[in-house]
Amino acid sequence: MFEFLLNPIYQMWIVQGLLLTVEITLFGVLLGLGLGTLLAIADIYGNRPIKVAIAVYVEFFRGSPLFVQLFLAVYTVPAILNIQIDHLFLAFLVFGLNSAAYQKGYMKGSMETILDDQMQAGLSVGMSKIQTLRHVILPQAYRIVIPSWTNEFCSLTKSTATLAFVGFRDLVGAGRSILINNMQIIPVWLVIAAIYLAWISGFSKLMDIIYEKKKIPGIELLMQ
Amino acid sequence: MADFVMEARHVYKTYGRKNAKKTKQANGDTSDGAKHVVEAVKDVSLQIKKGDIKLIFGPSGSGKSTFLRCLAMLDIPDKGEIYLGDECLTKPGVDLNKARARIGFVFQHIYLFRHLTALGNVELALRQVLKLPKEEARKRALAALAEVKVTDCANKFPAQMSGGQAQRVGIARALARNPDIILLDEPTSALDPELTGEVIDTLRDLAREGTTMLIVSHEMPFARDVAEEMIFYDEGRIVETGPPSQFFNAPNTDRAKQFMTRIINRTTRE
Ligand SMILES: Nc1ncnc2c1ncn2[C@@H]1O[C@H](COP(=O)(O)OP(=O)(O)OP(=O)(O)O)[C@@H](O)[C@H]1O
Ligand SMILES: [Mg+2]
Repeated sequence: MFEFLLNPIYQMWIVQGLLLTVEITLFGVLLGLGLGTLLAIADIYGNRPIKVAIAVYVEFFRGSPLFVQLFLAVYTVPAILNIQIDHLFLAFLVFGLNSAAYQKGYMKGSMETILDDQMQAGLSVGMSKIQTLRHVILPQAYRIVIPSWTNEFCSLTKSTATLAFVGFRDLVGAGRSILINNMQIIPVWLVIAAIYLAWISGFSKLMDIIYEKKKIPGIELLMQ
Repeated sequence: MADFVMEARHVYKTYGRKNAKKTKQANGDTSDGAKHVVEAVKDVSLQIKKGDIKLIFGPSGSGKSTFLRCLAMLDIPDKGEIYLGDECLTKPGVDLNKARARIGFVFQHIYLFRHLTALGNVELALRQVLKLPKEEARKRALAALAEVKVTDCANKFPAQMSGGQAQRVGIARALARNPDIILLDEPTSALDPELTGEVIDTLRDLAREGTTMLIVSHEMPFARDVAEEMIFYDEGRIVETGPPSQFFNAPNTDRAKQFMTRIINRTTRE
């Protein structure tokens, strides 16, 4: 049943697919975190035009399917601009931009629960707004946001199958390719699912440990 | 050379004016809109000299916290001037961060940095604002914690301390930079009665050392012992100012008289 696993070519597809899935999600989730943080700050402190621009950005990336965004980035935008950009690079970028749209919401939410009093406290000791954001607000917001961030990671991992639309083979793509030559539908998908499960649950477990370790004492009271 | 460490001249602060205007435009109901306007500070002036200890007291919601926040420019007054030494803080273009570094502020609800230990709370501004090297910042932070007798809490997080300990760390955080003045907004009102004593003792120590302080408080025995001047504040205004003896014997105004009676009855009943 599982003898396809012994085929070196299939092995290579699976490993490459897994690597692509892992790389693009880690990159996406990290770019999303950085950009999402900036967007959250801009949304809190920005003027009306900035807030509107951010809302449009977020609605676009949350409101349209990921494969449409990938398609636009890889085929339409370069054609309109008449430039050549590496497709894989564009795909990575789309994952980051997409994730930023979600993570902006998580970051803004967690910043807002602490902003009022902690910003006043920071200013009262002579720090600037930026210093307070950097040394007080963000360190707390990042600790609070870890669970949402873990969810975002899981859902991004499972969206990498959309890469097939622009010609890249992630883990699901590897499964499909194997099935073209090998009709063991259930065993192939079982293996693919098991790999996903191991990677996602391993990573989530790691984040849980970090969350517990870094948790601000007494923060549960604040979150109620 | 400035005569005063801190001075407020005809300060005004109103909340909700913008909102009120919006309501007016939206539904044409002027009286409803006007209700949302809170005049928390109305033409308040005050002078504090080096070494002064002044105490503000008055009913809840009268604007005492707002006035204190205006002094530290944590809230920007609508009108009037705030001076720190001879620098006018309400002029445009003033570096408010620099000014606030010279003012200590103790909050009614403590507001410690939750992700930092007591030591970290005191150290942060020493490192980031005064730019002290690591060791020196640590030494000064530990000295400040020792001064308010919470050395044993140095490595505890805010949620792991009692209210009294946390507020003393708050005082240490305000003290550590050697500010020109410390503003304390009801430092004991959020504490259980049995914990107010330890914070009051800390404040008595600071008073003995000649720390310049403006304190909002209703701890009357403390006020009588340490305040040079008491300021009765009501409905956004200073109603009466005088030495403690004046308030404890015969306040000039009826409102102060009533308030003193109420507060003294309350304290004796407890
Ligand atoms: N940020 C704010 N926005 C709108 N209204 C406010 C704000 N802060 C205070 N107020 C209002 O201003 C008035 C004065 O509040 P303030 O907290 O200064 O009073 P207080 O004398 O310190 O009262 P307490 O003794 O209860 O602490 C109150 O009516 C309050 O609701
Ligand atoms: Mg108050």
